[in-house]
Amino acid sequence: MKTGAFGSCHPAVNFVYFAFVLACTMIILHPVCLGISLLCAAAYAVLLRGKGAVRRSMKYLLPAMLIAALFNPLFNHRGVTTLGYLPGGNPLTLEAVLYGVAASVMLAAALCWFSCCSAVMTSDKLICLFGRAAPGLSLLLSMVLRFVPQFTARLKAISDAQRCMGHDATHGTMLQRAQNGVRMLSILVTWSLEHAVETADSMKSRGYGLPGRTAFSIYRFDRRDGKVLCLILCAGGVILAGAAAGGLAWSYFPSVRFRETDLFSAGILAAYLVLCALPLMLQALEDISWNISH
Amino acid sequence: MKKRSLDVLLLAVFLLLMPGCGTAGGQAEPTAAAAAEELSGESVPEETAAAVPPSGEPAEASFFRSEPAASQTPAPEPAASPTPPEETALTCSLWIRCDTILDHLDRLTEEKAGLVPESGVLLCLEAVPFDEGESVFDVLLRVTREQEIHLEFVGTPFYRSAYVEGIGNLYEFDCGELSGWSYKVNGAFPGCGCSLYELSGGDIIEWVYTCDLGKDVGGTNGWEDAA
Repeated sequence: MKTGAFGSCHPAVNFVYFAFVLACTMIILHPVCLGISLLCAAAYAVLLRGKGAVRRSMKYLLPAMLIAALFNPLFNHRGVTTLGYLPGGNPLTLEAVLYGVAASVMLAAALCWFSCCSAVMTSDKLICLFGRAAPGLSLLLSMVLRFVPQFTARLKAISDAQRCMGHDATHGTMLQRAQNGVRMLSILVTWSLEHAVETADSMKSRGYGLPGRTAFSIYRFDRRDGKVLCLILCAGGVILAGAAAGGLAWSYFPSVRFRETDLFSAGILAAYLVLCALPLMLQALEDISWNISH
Repeated sequence: MKKRSLDVLLLAVFLLLMPGCGTAGGQAEPTAAAAAEELSGESVPEETAAAVPPSGEPAEASFFRSEPAASQTPAPEPAASPTPPEETALTCSLWIRCDTILDHLDRLTEEKAGLVPESGVLLCLEAVPFDEGESVFDVLLRVTREQEIHLEFVGTPFYRSAYVEGIGNLYEFDCGELSGWSYKVNGAFPGCGCSLYELSGGDIIEWVYTCDLGKDVGGTNGWEDAA
């Protein structure tokens, strides 16, 4: 899979970046930060997975956002600005509505970042990162993470083959379709079990579990990785220190209160933008240098 | 095995990302006000015990009984009604106080500091009219709406119970973990929920915010009586 300029960095850089950006997204409730995070995550997801895939995941994400935004004021009645009264007798407050919107944006941004993370952090990167410290865990993690995609791919192959033979799960009577579906499921399970046995045999024949094993990885920590990591740590440090000093203070209850945007908070927001847009900037730089050299 | 761990992972992520719905519905019972009422219920004075309505005689105008309430409101209109006109003009006094917070401002949640008035009195109304059969909670709900004071409660219609979580955005647990709203009628804590206490004319209702499980607002908590 194409993982772009940032994806070609060292796994440690990727890991630190996603840890920082996810933590910031989930902790900081400043609306500007949430907006920056969502926009950058969505743009990066488009870059990584293409417009079609993002549009498909929007079908689930937008209703989830809507539900999150709508449900909060139904169950949360805090806040001084009463807009009306719910049938249950409790007040509907402006603050709860705003908080619901913020929470839904945060949900969407975090999900977008997770989708980018899973596209970039491939299983070989996970093995490279944790293969030495926790070989069992990283092997298990990489197997778990590829489990669902592998299942889907196999199911598609089976269903294509069955359709060629006329045993399609989308045509025929209810009973026929059920029969075909169950047959496909049976093939899928058999295939997966057989594959598991083969994997185990293969691993055993290559000496899995013997002492003195090394973990293979093709990643090298070069100068560019150092620079990127430095940038991530600087931006992250500025954001964390600034947030701890109250530069991004924004409370929704009991009334919306926030720090006026001054030079200090603007600086932190700029650092936040740099952190979130880092993969996009790296990609842009790479594109520019590619176009110049050609 | 693999699938299960993936499920658990997904569930954990989902729970982490769930937006904070600030409800405390499940915690309604063990809170300060309810606990204070429950505990003092062991040694209820006779007059407050007598004031608890028998279960067979529900409050007609109660918030949870919308249909009887609707049928009762037109009831005074026919002049042949058995209730004399002077009895329909029942009144009570309503106080909402949070002066105990003033002694414990250090414990108060930071954002709520601006909500506590210097006098510690959120509301003081003499002569609040109410209909026969209305409960303390009905009066509170109506008056807070009229006065545009914030009120959040957890209502369980099945038990006709209402638990007051917050008044004027001052919530339970906002001033320490033993804090919350409780109510007195004529200076005594009735040992029942506010939606079950049927008012009689001239009653003085006091909604008080306790920071110490009722001890700082004159409640005995049941323990000192026993000792």
